[in-house]
Amino acid sequence: MEVIGRSVIRKEAADKVTGRAKYTDDFESVQMLSGKMVISPYGHAKIVNIDTANAWKVPGVRAIIAGKRYPLTGETIRDRPPIAVDKVRYHGEPVALVVADTPAQAKTAADLINVQYELLPVVNSPTEAFQEGAPLVHERLGEYKKEADSYPVPGTNIATHTKIRKGQMEKGWAESETVVEASFSFAPSDHAAMETRCATAEIFPDGKIIIMTASQAPFMAKRLIADYFGEDMGKIIVHTPLVGGAYGGKAAVQLEVLAYLASKEVGGRPVKIFNTREEDILTSPCHIGLDATVKLGADRNGMIKAAEIRFWWDGGAYSDKAIDVSRSGAVDCTGPYNIENVWCDSYCMYTNHPYASPFRGYSHSELSFVIERTMDILAQKLNIDPLELRYINAIKPGDTTPTRVKLTRSNVGDLRKCIEKVRELIKWDEGAIKEVNERIIRVKGVSCSWKTSTIDANAPSGAILTFNRDGSINLMSGVIEIGTGTKTILAQILAEKLKMDVDRIHVRMEVDTQTTPEHWKTVASRGTYMAGRAVLQAADDVIRQLKEVASCVLRAPEEDLVVADSRVFLRDDPSIGLDFKDIVYGYQYPNGNSIGGQIIGTGKFILRHITHLDPETGEGKPGPEWAPAAYGVEIEFDKRDYTYRLIKACTVLDIGKVMNEKAALGQVMGAMSMGLAFAGRETFYFDELGRVLNPQLRTYRPLRYGENPEYLVGFVETPHLDSPYGARGGGEHGLMGMPGALGNALSLAAGVPLNCLPLIPEFIWRAKKTFK
Amino acid sequence: MAGKEDFQIVLPFDFDYYLPKNLKEAVELYRYLDQQGKQPMFFSGGTELITLGRIDLAYTEAVIDIKEIAECQMIQFSDHQLLIGSAVTLTQLEEANPFPLLTSVSSEVADHTARGKITLGGNICAQIFYREAVLPFLLADSELIIAGPEGLKTIQINEIFQEQLRLKKGELLVQTSTDKRFIEAPFYAVKRRQQWDTGYPLITLAALKMGQELRVAISGLCPFPFRSPEVETYLNRWGQAAETRVDNALSALPKPILEDVEGSADYRLFVLRHLLVDALSALERAGA
Repeated sequence: MEVIGRSVIRKEAADKVTGRAKYTDDFESVQMLSGKMVISPYGHAKIVNIDTANAWKVPGVRAIIAGKRYPLTGETIRDRPPIAVDKVRYHGEPVALVVADTPAQAKTAADLINVQYELLPVVNSPTEAFQEGAPLVHERLGEYKKEADSYPVPGTNIATHTKIRKGQMEKGWAESETVVEASFSFAPSDHAAMETRCATAEIFPDGKIIIMTASQAPFMAKRLIADYFGEDMGKIIVHTPLVGGAYGGKAAVQLEVLAYLASKEVGGRPVKIFNTREEDILTSPCHIGLDATVKLGADRNGMIKAAEIRFWWDGGAYSDKAIDVSRSGAVDCTGPYNIENVWCDSYCMYTNHPYASPFRGYSHSELSFVIERTMDILAQKLNIDPLELRYINAIKPGDTTPTRVKLTRSNVGDLRKCIEKVRELIKWDEGAIKEVNERIIRVKGVSCSWKTSTIDANAPSGAILTFNRDGSINLMSGVIEIGTGTKTILAQILAEKLKMDVDRIHVRMEVDTQTTPEHWKTVASRGTYMAGRAVLQAADDVIRQLKEVASCVLRAPEEDLVVADSRVFLRDDPSIGLDFKDIVYGYQYPNGNSIGGQIIGTGKFILRHITHLDPETGEGKPGPEWAPAAYGVEIEFDKRDYTYRLIKACTVLDIGKVMNEKAALGQVMGAMSMGLAFAGRETFYFDELGRVLNPQLRTYRPLRYGENPEYLVGFVETPHLDSPYGARGGGEHGLMGMPGALGNALSLAAGVPLNCLPLIPEFIWRAKKTFK
Repeated sequence: MAGKEDFQIVLPFDFDYYLPKNLKEAVELYRYLDQQGKQPMFFSGGTELITLGRIDLAYTEAVIDIKEIAECQMIQFSDHQLLIGSAVTLTQLEEANPFPLLTSVSSEVADHTARGKITLGGNICAQIFYREAVLPFLLADSELIIAGPEGLKTIQINEIFQEQLRLKKGELLVQTSTDKRFIEAPFYAVKRRQQWDTGYPLITLAALKMGQELRVAISGLCPFPFRSPEVETYLNRWGQAAETRVDNALSALPKPILEDVEGSADYRLFVLRHLLVDALSALERAGA
C-alpha cells in the first residue's frame, strides 16, 4: 500500500486554494454583536479614571465593561485580570470592552472612552526586571493562586525560576583548558500569523456556552473558562474551524474569555471579538524575548566539560505560558551536546512588555541562538572547525540530557548523521569564506539544535472512527488543522494501517469539544505522535470488529482473516471475503437476519513515564524523545555597507520517518523562512514608556517571497520506536537553528561577535564601530 | 458577507462617493462638499484612506474619485513634454515606462499589490511622508498642472513642492509635465531599506546628470523628500575628490535627520555617504 511517505495532497487543499475554506471570522449570524477593546497606550500606568459617558451615547451600544473585577486568569499563575483594573502592565492591555450591534459602532464608542492614566516606572527588559530595587510589575505576586510547578519569588519580578544542577561544576571547570563566555539579548516579537485571532461566544438560557475560536487549544479554553468562572465544564462547547497559522501564538486562551464575558454582559447574545492586526500584535500574546549569558569550558581536544547558562526570559506583563517556555528552555539548555557538568538558572521575568506565549520551537530557537553563537566563539578560541566541534560533542545514545534522561537511539536520533549531511549539502569543505570581489564575500555559518516537547505529563489524545455505508471512513481527532497538514497525515496513518485508499478516508477538519475526542493542544509537534497513536489504536479496534463479523459470516477463524483494500478476506484465498460496505453497518443474511451493527472504532493515547522536574536539580523526564537537527546558512555580505543577502539555508533533521514528503518539506522550509525573519528582521522596538513602536505590518515585516534564500532540506530517518512508523516532530526544527547559523555566518563575515537579534545591517555597523 | 459590511469593518465612518467626469465638475464638487462641511477628499487608489482611516489618521465624509477624468489618466508625449496624469497607477507607469528614472524609483514603492492601486498623484500628495515618486520630478524641474477654483495653472515643481505639495484647499494635481531632455538624461537611483527588499526607505536616492550638472533628490533621510541646491553645489565641485564633495554635501543637509524604527540618524548618514559616493562614481563620466 505505502501511503506513508507519499505526498498525499492535503484534505483541505481544494477549499483553501479556492478561497472557500472558512475561518472563525467567516462565521457570521445576523444577531451577532461586535466587541471592541480599548487598549492601553502605555507600558505601565495607574488607571485613574475611565469615562464611558460619551461612548454610551453611540447608537447600537449594548454594553461597556470597564473597571470590573473578574477572577484573575492565567495558566500557571493566576495573575491576569481579563480586563485591566487599577493599573495597566503593558502596551495593548485591554482596559475596556464595548459591545455594540456593528463593528463600526463598537469602534466609534471605544474611541470615545476616555481613560486617564498616571504613568508608572517601566520595566523595559528582563535584565532591568532582575535588578534589585526594580519597579514591581506585580506587587501581590505572593497572593496569586498558582500551579505547584511554578516558583514565583514575591517581592521581585521573578515569575518562576527553573534550576538545572547536573554533575560537578568545579570538576568541569578544572578539566577545561579553554573557557568562553558571552552575553546575548533580543526583544519580544510577533508570530504574525496570517489570520488574526478571533473568538465568539454565546450563552443560552439553559447555561450552554458556545464558543468559536481560532485556537490551538479549544479543550484548554473549555477547561479554563470552567475553572476561572465556575461554569459547568460539560456546558461549554468550543468550536474551532480551520486556523490560519498559529505558531504557538494561538495556544494561549485570551479572546475566548473576553467574548464569554461580553456575551454574559448582554444576556447571552452572541458576541464576536476579532483582533485588528495591531491588537493581534500588541494585545494578544507575543513571541518571548531573552537576555542570556553562556559560559562554556572545553579541554584541549575540544570536548566540552562544563556549561553555565543563565536565561532571563522576557515573559512580559503576565506569566501565562511564559513559565512553561522558560522551563522548556532549561531542560534543553545545552543544545544537543553531551556535557556532564551543567548549571542553568532559567528565570521567567515579569516586564512591562506584551506577555509571551509559545513561539514555534518553544524556547528552542531562542536558546539555540545563544548556545550556537557560543559554540562558534569556542571553536574560534580553540581553533577548531566549528562543524567539527559540534560533531565531536554531539549528543548520542548513552549520554544524558541536562535533566539526566538516559538517551537511546530511539529517543535521541542521530545528530552526527545530520551534521554529515549538512556538511555535504552546503559544501562546507569548500571553506566558510569565499571572496567574490574586494567588497563582497560569501560566507557560511552552521548550527545545531534539538528539542523535546515538554507537554503535560498526562496530556491525552483520542480518535474516533465511524463508517459511511459505502465503506469509507470518517476520522475524528481533536488535532486542529493549523496549516501543518497533520490531519492529512492522520488519514495516511489510518490508510496505511488498514491498507486502504486514503481518498476513502474523510477527515473532519472542524473540532468541537463536545463530540471530538480531546487532543490536549495542537502544539509542540505532537500531533502525529500522539494523535497518530490514538488513530492506530482506533484502527486496531476497527480491525477487530470487522474480523469478528466477517469471521462469523465467512465461517473462518479471525486469525485467518486479513483487512485490506476496504475488504476483509481469507489470507489464503482473497476471493473469499466481504466488502466493508457489507459489514460496517451489520451483515444481513439473505433471509433478512442481521448481525453485528454499526462499527465505531476508538483509540486513545497518553505519554508514558513523563515526570515533573525536581525543583532543586531539574532532574526528571520532561518529554518522550528528542529530534536533533543541523543547519547551514550562506550569505553574500557587503564589507563596506554591512548589508547582506540570504543565498542558501539548509536544515537536516532527524525526522524519524518522512510521513508525507511534500508536507514535510513545506514544514521545514516554512520554518526556516520564519527563523530567518526572526533572526534577520522581526523585533518589537520599544520606547522608554514601554510602547511598541512598530505594531503594524508596515513596520513589522516578516520575510517576503523573493527575499528568501534557496532552501536545502535533508532528512535522516532514525525511528522513534514509540511513534507511528517511527516519526519524530518536524514542524518546528527548521526554524530553531536559523538564528544561530545566520549569526555565525555574519559574525564571521563582519569579524565581530554579533550576539543580539535582529541581525540588521545597522546593528552590524554599530558592532563594528564599538569593536574598533 | 455584504460588501458594505466589509468596508464598514475596515473604516469606522461612512462617506459619500462621487465620480466626476471632468475637472470642472471635480473642482466644483469639492467646493460644494466643503461648504457642506463634508471634509471632502480627492481620491483615486484609496490606499491611504483605507489604511490610515482605519486607525483614525484620515477622515472624510465625501470622496471625489478622479479616475474618470481623462487628463488625470493620460501618459502622453506632446512636443518635448511628457505628460503623466495623477490618477495613473504606479503599475501602469512601470509597464508603460515612459520615464525610466521614475520607473526605477516608483517600482520600489510599497509592494506589487499596492502599486496596482497607488497612483502617481496619490503618492506625491501622500500623508505618509516618503512620497518617493516626487523625486524624479524634482530632479527634472518638471511642471505641475493643477486644477483649482480659478481653473488650471502650471507651476514649476520646485516652487510648489517644499517638503510637501503646497496645494491650496480645493486644488487638485492633474498632471506632471516633464521636458524630454531630462527623461533621456543619465540617472542613478537606489533604495536602501532597514533590511532586504521590503519596507519603507531608510534612504531613497535619485540622481540625474544634465550636462555636467549632477542633481540629487532624497527621501527617507528627513521627514520629507527634498532636493537641496546647497548639497548639489558641493557635489558638483568636480575638481575635488569624491569623498570631499560628499562630506561637504553631508554638512549641508536639511534638518531634522530621521531617528526612528527604520534606523538612527547616524546610520542614515553612514548609508547616505556611500550612496552619494556610488552616485558620483556611476555618473562621473556619464553625459560627458
